[in-house]
Amino acid sequence: MLSEREVISTLNMLRTEHLDVRTVTLGVSLFDCVSHDIELFIANVKDKILRHAAQLVRVCDEVGDKYGIPVVNKRISVSPIAVVAAPFGPAGMVRVCRALDDCAKEAGVDFLGGFSALVEKGFANGDRALIEALPEALTTTDRICSSINVASSRSGINMDAVALMGEQILKVAEASADRGGIGCAKLVVFANIPQDVPFAAGAYLGVGEPDVVINVGVSGPGVVKKAIDRALGAGVNAKGQPLTLLDIAEVIKRTAYKVTRVGEMIGTEVAHRLNLPFGVADLSLAPTPAVGDSVGEIFQSVGLSSIGAPGTTAVLAMLNDAVKKGGAFASSSVGGLSGAFIPVSEDSSIEAAATSGLLSLEKLEAMTSVCSVGLDMIAIPGDTSATTIAGIIADEMAIGMINHKTTAVRIIPVPGKGVGEEVSFGGLLGKAAIIPVPRGDASDFIRLGGRIPAPIHSLKN
Amino acid sequence: MKNFTISFLGRDCPGVVAAVSRTIGESGCNITQLSQTILSGEFAAIYIVQAPDSLDPEALRRALAVALEAEHMDMSVLVRPATDSAWGEGEVCQPFVVTADGPDHPGEIAAMSRVFARHNVNIESLKAVLGEGGSNHALFVFEVMVPDRVDLGRLRRELIKEGGMHNLRVGVQHRDIFEAMHRIGSV
Repeated sequence: MLSEREVISTLNMLRTEHLDVRTVTLGVSLFDCVSHDIELFIANVKDKILRHAAQLVRVCDEVGDKYGIPVVNKRISVSPIAVVAAPFGPAGMVRVCRALDDCAKEAGVDFLGGFSALVEKGFANGDRALIEALPEALTTTDRICSSINVASSRSGINMDAVALMGEQILKVAEASADRGGIGCAKLVVFANIPQDVPFAAGAYLGVGEPDVVINVGVSGPGVVKKAIDRALGAGVNAKGQPLTLLDIAEVIKRTAYKVTRVGEMIGTEVAHRLNLPFGVADLSLAPTPAVGDSVGEIFQSVGLSSIGAPGTTAVLAMLNDAVKKGGAFASSSVGGLSGAFIPVSEDSSIEAAATSGLLSLEKLEAMTSVCSVGLDMIAIPGDTSATTIAGIIADEMAIGMINHKTTAVRIIPVPGKGVGEEVSFGGLLGKAAIIPVPRGDASDFIRLGGRIPAPIHSLKN
Repeated sequence: MKNFTISFLGRDCPGVVAAVSRTIGESGCNITQLSQTILSGEFAAIYIVQAPDSLDPEALRRALAVALEAEHMDMSVLVRPATDSAWGEGEVCQPFVVTADGPDHPGEIAAMSRVFARHNVNIESLKAVLGEGGSNHALFVFEVMVPDRVDLGRLRRELIKEGGMHNLRVGVQHRDIFEAMHRIGSV
């Protein structure tokens, strides 16, 4: 028999704390679809994706119904297109991107990730073609996400790629100027990109992954916040002693355990019903613009006036670590990013702090040194130079490279708008006020190009 | 040997289990299963015992009643031959937890349980939690076994419809989700 506490706690998590499975992502390898003939390649890709994705949405909904836990998003990740479509030029890459968009729509998924290139050590022909195709590809499709890995702890930072991405981000923004530069919301520049991320926009299926696999992204910032609020409301820990941060870290850890167990259970059952292997549970705290589903609100619960106040990086470090610890105990298949996301426009509390000036780009950068992703969904002035964007990317890549962690930049230079003006992307992407970029000029540094070598601790063998 | 089912219902007080268990032992019986609970000061228990062939149920009931009376315990006793088979044997079932909550009114449990009965769904445990969400708030937790042949979607729709007529919010979830979240199971 279940106890009252177990039942009531679960109901509260579902009804008022936004407990859900944020995404079930079907990974599909496209290596066996390759051809020098683009018609044949596209036909192979469509056939393989739709063969495996045909039942994805239905099965996710059925399993979600069985356990009473909604699977909010169903997504697809594919092998890096720059590799599997390497023979094609930029125009061919655009065609491939549109074909993938058709697949996403036919399968009923909201995003398909993997229009990606891995260029941390240099460019191959397919990489150059894909990056050149980005402005047209991302603005003539609706559901395709792109990630470009420009740095790693093993290889260093490809500064030519960083410079190029500074330019391409501006071009993508310009190509989608009528929608506030929304194309950039589907484009992420990474250091140390994981091969099994289920979350958009960074999702892609790495070369070492199975042919077809189910990965799951769990979330739950609202659940963590409410658990902290309850503990602080009680004022004492289980032993009756005054509550300290050690107890709060324990509360976060235990809550992350529960949330991860939900995700793993649903993911394994979806995989079983589709007769596919289960890959990983990514136990990230991913917010949505809804009130009560915010990572930023957790900072207020712990006693800061707002995210961005002194102490923010320390709280984020504790939060990120406790989430990992709880999740690691809950599942032997933890992967992806696994930590706390801080996407500005997608989190109402973080967005409010950025709008009011409490949270600057510099502070966000400091925070990314202790959390799982990076500068995420940040709107900056549309007239920001390509070299300034490249400088911001380079700084973020350096944090990832030196600290052996994933970092990323998903930044949106909003065409025609300046600091303080607002841009709305709609839906899960939310809205944001445009914040200033750091002053100074990086153009001579960026123009040097080449590669920042890997750090000494990359020599591990 | 044969099996008896014994049930006890009465005022709870220290010594009830001791008196009952001693008498069962003295009657030559062996307790094989038991379950007990206390609700608002009322004690209820059900025992399954293995009894000698020579013992009849009425003799055992009398012995238990005498022992309880001697201890001044206000307790009703019922003894009957145990049934050989349980409901659902041979039926493949899945455990589900159905919750219904809202303002407390008479007739809500009857309404919900009628739906279960109509679908041949057995209620294995039922709890009412009163006052948790406000002074007149009730939460009913039904742990049920749903045969695989039952149309789960239809059952869910009918439960939600019936609950809605009583202003109850209904949830239907496989029991495993509660286990997974709150308990560390065996590997």
